[in-house]
Formats: sequence, structure tokens, C-alpha cells
Amino acid sequence: MAFSALTEKYSGKMGTLTFGSGDQAITVGGQAAMPFCTFDGEIPNKPIVAMEVYDVVDPEWPAAVVDPFKDVINDPIAWAKKNIDEYGAKAICLQLASTDPNGENKSADYAAELVSKMIEAISVPLVVWGSGNVEKDAEVLSKICEVNEGKNLLIGPAVEENYKKIAAACLGYGHNVVSQSPIDVNMAKQMNILISNLGLPMDKIIMEPSTGALGYGVEYSYSVMERISLAALAQNDEKMQCPITNDLGKECWKAREVKLTEEEEPAFGPDLEKRGVLWEAITGFDMLLAGSNLLIMRNPKAVKLVEECIDELLA
Amino acid sequence: MGLTGIQIFKLLPKTNCKECGSPTCLAFAMALAGGKAELDKCPYVSDEAKATLSEASAPPIRGVVIGTGDKAKKVGEELVFYRHEKTFLNPTAIACLVTDAMDDAEVDAKIDNLNNVQFERVGLTLEADLLAVRCVSGDAGKFEALVKKALGATEKGLIIMADDFAALEAGAKAASGKGALLYAATADNCDQVAALAKETGASVVAKGASIEEVADFTGKIVSGGVKDIVIDAGARDIKSMFYNDNQIRRAALKAKNRDLGFPTIDLVCDMTDDPYKEAMLASLAIAKYGAIVVMSDIDKERMLPLFVQRLNIYTDPQRPMVMDEGIYEINKPGPDSPVIITTNFALTYFIVAAEIEASRVPTWLLIMDVEGMSVLTAWSAGKFVADAMAPFVVKSGIRDKINHNKIIIPGYVAQISGEFQEELGSDWEVVIGTREASDIPAFLKAL
Amino acid sequence: MSKLIITAAIRGAHAIVDRVEGKVNAAIQEYGADKEVNLPNTAYYLPVIYGITGYKVEKLGDMPGVIEKCRQLLPELPAENAWLPYLGPGLDAGMATAFAFELEESLLYLDPDKCPYLPSKEDPEDTDPDIWLGAADDIILRKRGVEFVDGSAPGFAAVVGAAKDVETAIKIAKELQEKSIYVFMASSNPNGVSFAEQLHEGGVQVGWNTRLVPFGKPTSAAIHALGFATRAALTFGGKTPGDFKEVLKYSKDRVFAFVLALDEVDDEKYAAAAGCINWGYPTIADTDIPEILPTGICTYEHVVSNIPQEEIVSKAIEVRGLKITIAKIDIPMSYGPAFEGERIKKDAMFVELGGPKSVGFEFAYSKPLDQVEDGKFTVVGPNIKDIEAGALLPIGIWIELAGRKLQEDFEPILERQCHHLLNGAEGVLHIGQRDIVWMRVSKKAVEAGFTLEHFGTILHAKLHNEFGAIVDKVQVTIFTDEEKVKEHLEVARKTWVERDNRLSDMNDETTETYYSCSLCQSFAPTHVCVVTPERPGLCGAYNWLDCRASHEINEHGPNQPIAKGDVVDERLGKWKGVDEFVAPASGNAFESFSAYSILVDPMTSCGCFEAIAACLFAANGVMVVDRDYAGETPCGMAFSTLAGSVGGGLQTPGFVGISKFYIGSKKFISAEGGIKRLCWMPKALKEQLKDMITARGEEEGVPNLYDMIATEENGTDEETVMAFLMEVGHPCLEMQQLMEMM
Ligand code: SF4
Ligand code: SF4
Repeated sequence: MAFSALTEKYSGKMGTLTFGSGDQAITVGGQAAMPFCTFDGEIPNKPIVAMEVYDVVDPEWPAAVVDPFKDVINDPIAWAKKNIDEYGAKAICLQLASTDPNGENKSADYAAELVSKMIEAISVPLVVWGSGNVEKDAEVLSKICEVNEGKNLLIGPAVEENYKKIAAACLGYGHNVVSQSPIDVNMAKQMNILISNLGLPMDKIIMEPSTGALGYGVEYSYSVMERISLAALAQNDEKMQCPITNDLGKECWKAREVKLTEEEEPAFGPDLEKRGVLWEAITGFDMLLAGSNLLIMRNPKAVKLVEECIDELLA
Repeated sequence: MGLTGIQIFKLLPKTNCKECGSPTCLAFAMALAGGKAELDKCPYVSDEAKATLSEASAPPIRGVVIGTGDKAKKVGEELVFYRHEKTFLNPTAIACLVTDAMDDAEVDAKIDNLNNVQFERVGLTLEADLLAVRCVSGDAGKFEALVKKALGATEKGLIIMADDFAALEAGAKAASGKGALLYAATADNCDQVAALAKETGASVVAKGASIEEVADFTGKIVSGGVKDIVIDAGARDIKSMFYNDNQIRRAALKAKNRDLGFPTIDLVCDMTDDPYKEAMLASLAIAKYGAIVVMSDIDKERMLPLFVQRLNIYTDPQRPMVMDEGIYEINKPGPDSPVIITTNFALTYFIVAAEIEASRVPTWLLIMDVEGMSVLTAWSAGKFVADAMAPFVVKSGIRDKINHNKIIIPGYVAQISGEFQEELGSDWEVVIGTREASDIPAFLKAL
Repeated sequence: MSKLIITAAIRGAHAIVDRVEGKVNAAIQEYGADKEVNLPNTAYYLPVIYGITGYKVEKLGDMPGVIEKCRQLLPELPAENAWLPYLGPGLDAGMATAFAFELEESLLYLDPDKCPYLPSKEDPEDTDPDIWLGAADDIILRKRGVEFVDGSAPGFAAVVGAAKDVETAIKIAKELQEKSIYVFMASSNPNGVSFAEQLHEGGVQVGWNTRLVPFGKPTSAAIHALGFATRAALTFGGKTPGDFKEVLKYSKDRVFAFVLALDEVDDEKYAAAAGCINWGYPTIADTDIPEILPTGICTYEHVVSNIPQEEIVSKAIEVRGLKITIAKIDIPMSYGPAFEGERIKKDAMFVELGGPKSVGFEFAYSKPLDQVEDGKFTVVGPNIKDIEAGALLPIGIWIELAGRKLQEDFEPILERQCHHLLNGAEGVLHIGQRDIVWMRVSKKAVEAGFTLEHFGTILHAKLHNEFGAIVDKVQVTIFTDEEKVKEHLEVARKTWVERDNRLSDMNDETTETYYSCSLCQSFAPTHVCVVTPERPGLCGAYNWLDCRASHEINEHGPNQPIAKGDVVDERLGKWKGVDEFVAPASGNAFESFSAYSILVDPMTSCGCFEAIAACLFAANGVMVVDRDYAGETPCGMAFSTLAGSVGGGLQTPGFVGISKFYIGSKKFISAEGGIKRLCWMPKALKEQLKDMITARGEEEGVPNLYDMIATEENGTDEETVMAFLMEVGHPCLEMQQLMEMM
């Protein structure tokens, strides 16, 4: 039996989302095929990696992740610039760790001002990520929306408990929202419905299905994302046709496999950098293979590895 | 796909004679349908039924076993494209490459890595599987010597790789009866290589420049008496590797193309010199349909992420990975260290353990067997509840290791605190912990 | 619409349009047709006119065009005797009034020196000559509008006229403020007293930040409320200017607003009220004006009158269908899931309520909206202050509920919440339900100030917050007087019996809508339960009523209605609608489900089934094994093996996951002959279901069916079981061969 190539034609297509402004704006999504299956349908926009910067860094961070930014680690804006100028970041994700009430508990006003300064200082699109504290994020992120009206930021995570405030602010002040759900296809869909019911169009929503790093639930995220992608493409389920993002940098770099030294765990080997970079790069690659459109990553080398794979697979 | 349990049952004798090891024909039929039994076990199946059943139950992708004994490794037999449909069955085999151009020290070091780089996780040993021995010298004698050395140095299965038939033959014969995989049969020499494989009990890689080319001659190898075939359709870059693995699986599963119903091999060692990039390529093979991936070295730092990825991708999505029940010591706890109890769902364990570790607070972690359910699921299933937990805590012996009486329960099951306290009695004090693992460090530090 | 109102509104509208036309002409004379007009800082021109018609008023010369439109809209006054059965003319008059008012207000901004408003200010300050703010600019609109979208402001009240005195004004304002409702104030009563000025006089800070917004003293200033709503539709709803249907619909659905007309309503106010009806905003008046009750454009009534000022806020909320959430539960102790599991020992306990040594019950039921007073908590009998520590009291928690979407069927579901809701309070222990309630309250809670009314506070707050979709009003009475407790318990008991019978009286044939449950898809991606009145979800946790209630509460949740549609196969339990639903819901893994068959397209089994039914072909019967039985079964597989091979969202002919309760249903594998096939089950399960099995056996003409069902005591392999069945003459042996039925 001779071989003839088999292609899949889907009735649905993933929607797109554009964030940032001017000619630096980035569009993600829009694919009519499963990841990298260019032989099945059009993949008009390459997945993007946004490089993250923190406004406060946990002193426990391993050297491998601190080293590339040693000189700028206490200045998120300089850090962002370094990411762009030196490491070629296409987008920046500002992680507002300092606003966490269990940490420094910095105010919403502080965060909003930092975001304004960041927008001033960089030209690439900006993702703004809250601390993950449900109540505080509602306050901080909505303030950021208000103060930075019309900047078309990507803001999140909005979860079931706080999506109203965040999504409403995105709607009111012209931003896009990250709709985060707890590793469940139906919850992801429900979040999209809830947010779009507030009046935010689907092309201003990106899903974050909760990201697990290698060894910490990557397979759950992976399967949920494959199911979302199939629902969007094969079943043409409109409420699943928001592009997908994964906030994976922070998940990867807190894994014990990345942090433990050889003394603490001889089986893991001496080269912490190699371990860490690959832990992040492979997690990121898995997310791409499952349908991610936007990765949020930390280490420049890991970013480069992932971007190379994207470029070559979509060449 | 295959037949349902009842359809199979109809073809069985229905005498419940138990000789197959199942108590009833129905149970045997269900096991067959689930791929958990072999038809040969029932001595009474009629020939006609046998024909119907084996036709229907032959896997669309052939299973190929490489090596012998404990370390034999099976690849292939995959039934689906997405892991949520059904578990991916046979994890991608990771092979390490040695060549006869390397000096002894290098070969030794690589084989040493192959044999010894391993990690324990969820009660499993994660390790690489195969040794690829390649002839680059063109010298059959030299190659044969290397194969012999390899056979002595590792119990893992071999891939014997030589372009030159004489060298291949020398290597294959040296490894005769060891279930080696011969690399490679091509359109030109496939009859010859098939005969060699048959003679030496080996399996064969069918190698061509494209899928079309390979599809043309796998049939010949089968007619030559060798059914265990692995395909190399010539990809030497990431894009064509992705395409080939994808299309070959589609051909096998969707078009039921028997000529392509075989596992694939990805020579990522030939695609890049950069060890990082090579790891990325290997990770692609693991996720997207590569059955064997040949790498230049089995070093700890690259294998840890790759093995864990492979473990994750190939786990049964319906059956969670579990930890052994017991006391886990984190950060070297002592008598006054806190005690936390949670379930044996591996993911719960890993996340909680990582957070405790990050806190640097020495802690006893009590892991209770609840069949691998997460905290809330186990609670609602009535497994992670006071009257089950209390006896476990007592039996665990944790009390002998500490000089206090506090036990911390997950915040999500705060509602059981009272009952748990009652069950444990007054010599314990139940403390409600955090709901989210990420809050554990702050919680422990504040204790 | 009442003819009286319509006549007044039309009369008013005519007068307003005439007046404004005069003003416009005078302004053109004075400033010239090219003089720019606008409201402060808005990109929406005159927003009401722009939003509804798409017409941009940019200069005075554009205004006569609007007057022209008003004239076209204005209906003739109805003749004395003519009966007007519909709202149409009144609505048109209202719209004309709205346009005219907006023109009139914009004229006030022509000369900045003469403008009576404080433009673009959020709050009037002490140094300002007056308190009136006029139209909101776009910045305020965005900032405040976001609160309407995210729900932190549930709506706005446009207050026209004045309260009867300053105290009442303050009380009304406070009440609205407490509910986070914006108060937009305009107009005055015939004596020139205005609500905003009353507040100001009473020392209440007005302005956007206190949500008490004084727009302006003329009635025309009320147009800024509609301007706000219209711009919200354009900004947040993305509606196109001129697409008036969409704009008005958005206002009605998304901006929860109503008009409070205090004191006398004159023609002009009638006209304005008619305008508001176009936006879906009802008018609630304290004076005795004719009502317009039939529901049409507004969510509920259009005009409700004669409501005392004391009650006007709660009435308004009810009429507009506004949902309230309570941010903080006002009790002296903490509240949260962490306290749910707390135990209260005897020596820590202040009082024990109900329980084995006394009587304790709780009961929730629904009443008409006007018979329930939201937030009213009463204690009948001794309260905390009347007893000593360690006391024992009987208790009856009597919960009266009302809600527009509340159905009788939801009562038990809400009643069941008491346990979970009350347990969340620190120092409160709650066990049991219905008439076996047993509670304790700790000394610590009492020291902190707990009294029995606080049970009401908790239930009220939580029921509103968690079940706001179906509950509008909650009133709670706590009985501790023994006589009263017993008396009310009797009433409750009668209702419980009725409730228990309600579902068992329903059947699949006469029910058109079934429900899906896809909760288990999180781990079994292709699994869907189709829940019918006679076939509960296989986990046993969701029956048809539960699914329906859960759908009402969360319409995008895992329980979706399925219109069952035409019957495809009555015996198997196949319906067109169900099949059409199942295919996409299972990710196209399955095309058809039979509700009643174990052999032909049985329903999928996820993993949380209470029990599994399996065919025993030799015996020609069906066995059932539940989760608690770990031993061998005659099919050759123990529960765990069975669960492994049939679970995971697969259709496995010959096997099906079920709830225990389903065994007692008439539809239990009825396609294969029903309960008469049941020939083996674990002893414990059999005993547990004894009544059900006996009753069903009798119905099927096999009164001793219970005794004919084998258990592990009779055997765990097919041969021994067969022997037993033959001995007792089990009916399954005589039935059609299962093998032939596939
Ligand atoms: S050996 Fe064959 S006949 Fe005997 S029980 Fe097993 S399947 Fe049935
Ligand atoms: S088993 Fe229960 S929870 Fe699961 S889908 Fe069915 S009804 Fe829903």
C-alpha cells in the first residue's frame, strides 16, 4: 500500500488576539490546524514568547535564573530593556510579585505607575501579570487598566472569583484579559462565556488553562490544551476559540529538580544551568505542541531554544 | 478500532472453564478488549473465531521488542494521536550513540552513563533504554569488536548501525540472539538485511529518503520473514521529523496502511551538534510520535527533564501516578519539626514537597494512600476523612519521631478538623493548613 | 398603558417640545447657527440623541433637525373616550421628551459664565456656589461605568422630586448606598425642594464618590441619567450609534436602573417617566398615580405607585429585579470554610439546640414576594440573654424565601444548604437536616456578642450571595419556644412528605426537558450523564431536580437542559434531542445514548458510579455490584476490575455504571426487562435497598423478587448462582435471551 499524505480539515479556526499598539503590536492565534501541522491548515501567526521581568525577586531564586540579569534584577525596567536589547524579547511580561499581600503588599497605585513607566520605556507589547492573590489582583489590575487607558495591554490572570472587576476594567479601558481556569476544559469554556457575557469580545480574551511544569502536572495542562484546541477546530466550538497562553516561567523555576544542587541530590548532576534551562524550554515546547499561542518564560537561553524550534517548525 | 468486550465474548466458548486464568469467558473477553490478555491463553477458541479476533486485534502499529531479558524494551503499538483519548502505551525508547571512531574512554564513559544515569520517581526507575552502536570506520572487524564490547558492557538492547553490509553483518552476528535492531535495510539491500535479521533474531530499521520510499519495501522485509520493523523515513531536521512521525502514525491508524504500521526512529544525534538543541528534538520525539530517539549522550542534566517529560506524557490520563504511603522527610526534620499530612496523588506530593523544600523549614510529610486522589477528590470520595486518617496517623509511627502533638491538614479539608481531632483523641492537636500549596512556605515560617 | 398616564405624558411632552423649540430658536438668534454646542468632555455629542438616532448635534444649527424628529414622534393627544391598549404613543412621547430635554440641558452650557453646573467635577466642594454637577464627562463615565459592568455597582436610581423631610431623604439615600446603588438626582417637588438639596442640608456629602450624584435642579437634568446609560451601551456594549434597538436593549439588560418619583408627579414628570420606560427603567412613585403593571418593555412592572417612602427602595429593587450581594456577614464571629469542621465540646458550649435530647428542625419554603420581608430576623422564645451557660433549647429555623425565579422544587435544595452555611461560622456547630437538627454555640461566640438572630444574618447573607440567581428575599424566624417549635414542625413535616413524593410522581414520558451533567469530563473527557426524572446521574449525587436547580443558579455550568425531542425508540429510551446533544457534548465520541438499555448504546460510565450493572449471559440476568463490595462477583470481575474496564467515559455494551437509586426506578434497564433481570447483588446493598426492591417486585408481579436475588452468600460464580436461580425460579431464566437482544 503506497503512501499518500493524509490531511485534516477542520470546520473551526482559533480566534486571534492583538495586544500592544502601533507597528509593534503582536497578533497571536488564528490557526486552522493543530500545532505546527502546517500541512493541515494555515497557521498565520507564530506563537510568541514574552519574557518576564519581576518587580521583586525572591531571594531563593537559583543562580541559573538570576545570572543572566544580575545587573538589572532590582530594576524591572532595565531588566525589560535588557531582555529586549540583548535577548531579543518580542514581548515583555511584567510580573507584579511585589503586590502580593503575603509579600511586600505594594499598592495598586504603585503598580499602575510602574506599568506606565514600563510602557514609556519599552516599545514591545506588554503583558501584566498579577501576584495571583484573588482580591488584590482585582484591585491592582483594574487600577492598572484605568491608569493606562487605551494601551491595549494584556492583563491577567482573571479567575472565577475576580474576573468581573478585571475584565470590566479591560473592557472599559481598552485592554485584553487573560482568563485563567483550573485545568479543566469545561471551566475554561465557562470562564470565556462569563467574560464575554460582560461584553468583552472574544478577540480580547486569551485562556490560561493553568500551567504545570514538567513533573508538576505538565500532562494535565497538555491534555486540557489539546482538548481545547480540538474543540475549537474540530467541533467549531466558538466559546473555545480564544488563543491560549501559559505562564510557565515561575512554575518551572520553583521545581526542586531545578533548584537542588548536586550536593543535595547527586543524581541530578552538577550543571544547574543546563537542567534549569531545559526544564523550562521543554515545558515551553510541550505547551506549544499542545496548542499554546503565547508563552511567558524567564531564561533567555530557554527562550532562544523554544523560539528556534518555533521558527524551524513553521519555516 | 477493536471489538467490544461483548463482541469478543460472543466468539468465545462461554463455558467458564477458567483455563485462561480468568474466572469467566466474559472477564476474559473484557481483558482482551482492554489489551490486557492474549488470545492464545484460551485453548478452546475456534479457528474461525481466532481468525476474526486476531485480524481485529492486531495492533495497527506493530509492537517491536529490542533486547532481551529484564532490559528488553518494547516500542510501538500506539493506538491514538492524543493522550486524552487513551494512554500512550510504550514510552519512547531513548538510545545512546557510540561509534567505532570514538576512543575507548569515550565509549566507556557513554556506556557508563547509559547504565547508570537514572532517577527514582513515583516508585519507578527512570532510565535510558538502548545503545546504538554505529560503524563509521567502514572496518567490519573494528565494528564487530565494538559490538562485542558493548554486549559485555550493557544489558540494554542494541541498535547495530552500519551502512556497509559486511560491517552490519559482522555486528549482527556478534549480537545474534540478543534481539538487536539492525540499521538499516534500504530499498536496495532489504532482502539481504531481512535474511540477516531472520538469521540473527533481530529486528530491522527500514530506511529511506522519504515515507514513500520506505512504504515501498517494508512489505518485502515482511515477506522475507521479518515482521519487526522500525521506520526511518530520512528526516534530518526538526520540521521533516515532525512531519514524518505525524504522517506515519496517520497512515497506520487512519488509513490502516500496513506498510507503514511500524514504530519510527528519530536520529536526533545526526540533526545537531548542540546538546541543548538535541534535547529539544528528543522532547519533540517523545511528545509527537517518535518511538526511538538516538542521542549523543545520556547525561544527567538533559535526561532528568526528558525522562520526566516522557513519564508525564505516557502516564494513563485516567489513572493518576501515586506515591508510596509513608513518612517523607523534607529538609532533615527533627523532633520539633511540624507534621503535614496529605494524599498520595503524585502531583499533590510533588507540589507540596517542593514548596516545603523551598521554605527550608524541616518538616515531616505524611503521605496517605487514597488511591492517588487529590485532597478534595479523596475527601469527597470518603477516603481522606477523619476515621480513615486517624488510624493511618497512629500506624505511621510519626508520633515516635516528634516531641509535640500538632498535625497540619490541608486547608481544603478544614471541615474535617473537628472530627479528625475527635478520632485522634486529646493527645493530638489538629491544625488547619493552607488551601494552596504556594502558601505553605509562609505558613511554615509563621508557625 | 393607563390612559390617564399616557394622556398626561403626551400632554407633558408637547409642552416640553414647544418650550425647547422656543429656547433653541432664541439661542440661534443670540449666538448664531454655527455656535458649537456640546456637553463637557464627551466624544458622544449629545449622547441620547446620538445613541438613539446616530444624529450628531455639533452646533446650534443642528438642533432644529432634532426638534423636527421630536415633532414626528409626538402623538396626538388621545381623545377623551378612546381606549389605547398599547404603550406605543406613550413611548414615543417619552422619547421626544428625552431628546428635547437633552437639547435643553446642552443649551445651559452655551455660556460658561451662566452655566449652573460644575463641569467635570466629581464632587461639589464647600467653596462651590452650588451642588449641581450636570452631565458626567467621559472620564467619569468610564470609571463609574466599569463598576456597572463588573457588578460592584448593581445599578442606579434616578430620584426625582423630594422626600417628605430631610430625615427620610437621608434614610432613602443610605439604604441605596448600602446596596451600592448609584443615586442620580434631578428635579424638585412643586415647592422647589429637591432631594439632593435635602441631603446637602442634612450634612450628607453628595458627589460621584459617595454615589449620590446631583445632576441638576430642573427635571430636564434627569436626562443625564439616560445619557449615562446610553453612553455605557456605546462604550461598554460596543453598540453602534443609531442602532436604537440594541442600545435600548443593552440598557435594559445591563444597566439596572429605576426611577423613584417622590412627591407629586406632574405632566412633565410623566413624560420623563415615559422616556425612561424606553430604556427599560420602571418608575416607582410614593403618590397615588395610576399604575402600569403588565410586563412588557421593563423587566417587570412599568409604573408602580403609592409605595410609602419608607418601603420605596426595597420595592424598587424588587420591581427592577436587582440582585443584591452582601459583602460582609454582619456577625461578631469569623466566618469561613476553615470553621466548617470545628467541633464544640460540652465544656466549651454555651447552648445546645435541638439534638437527641430535644427537638430541632430547619425548614425553608417559598412565598410570594410581597409576603416576605427581606433581612427580617425574629426570635420567638428564649434568646441567648435569657439562658444560662450549658442550657438546652429546642430550635426551629424557619426560612421564608421569595424570588422571581424561585420554584417550589428548589426549596429542598436551599434547605439542605443550612448545614454548610451555618457551620461556616466560628463557634457554631450544626449537624443533621430536616427534623434531626442538632446545634451547639460556643461560649466564645456568646462572649463575642452572638445572639440567635445571627443565624438569620448568616443564612440571609449566604443565600443571597450563593443563590442570588433564584433568591430575592430571605426572612428567618428562629423558634425556641417549645410549643411553637412543635407546631411549626408539624407544618414542615407535611411539606416534606409532599416534596418526597414530588419527584417520584414525575416520569420521563411527561417531561420534555432532561438535563446533562458534564462535571466528570474533567477526568473522563467523553462522559456525559443524561439525567431524567427516572434516571439520576450515575454518581447518585445529581437527580433531575438538582440538575435543574444547578442550571438555574449557573446557566453556563455543567448542567444543561436537553429538549428531548421526538422519540426514536421508546423501549431503549432514545430521543432525537438527546442524541443531538450527546454527540457534540461527548466530543463526537458517541452518536447515541439509550437511557434504559444496558446492551444497546448504554450510557457512558465516568468513574464515580455508585454501582455497576453487568450482564450475566448464562443466567440471562443482570448483576449489580457497588463500590463498597470488594469481593468476587459472578461475572468474574470484582468491582475494581469492572470499574477499570467500563470507566473512563466509554460505552461498554453489557455493562453500565449506575446510581443505587436507579435500581428502584421503573426505567432501570427496562429495555431488557427491568428489575426482573436483577439476579445477583452484594448482600449489604440488597439489604440497603430492600424496600425499593420489594415494592418494584410487587409492581412487576414478582412479590418475592427480593428473596430470589442471589448474593455472595449464595455464590460468586456463575454456575452456583445459576443453580440458586433455578432453585428459586428466578424470572430472568424465562425471559428473552439477552444475547439475542443486542
Ligand atoms: S479458557 Fe476460554 S473457554 Fe475457558 S474460561 Fe477462558 S475464555 Fe472461557
Ligand atoms: S456522575 Fe454525577 S457528577 Fe459525574 S457527570 Fe454524572 S451526574 Fe455529573
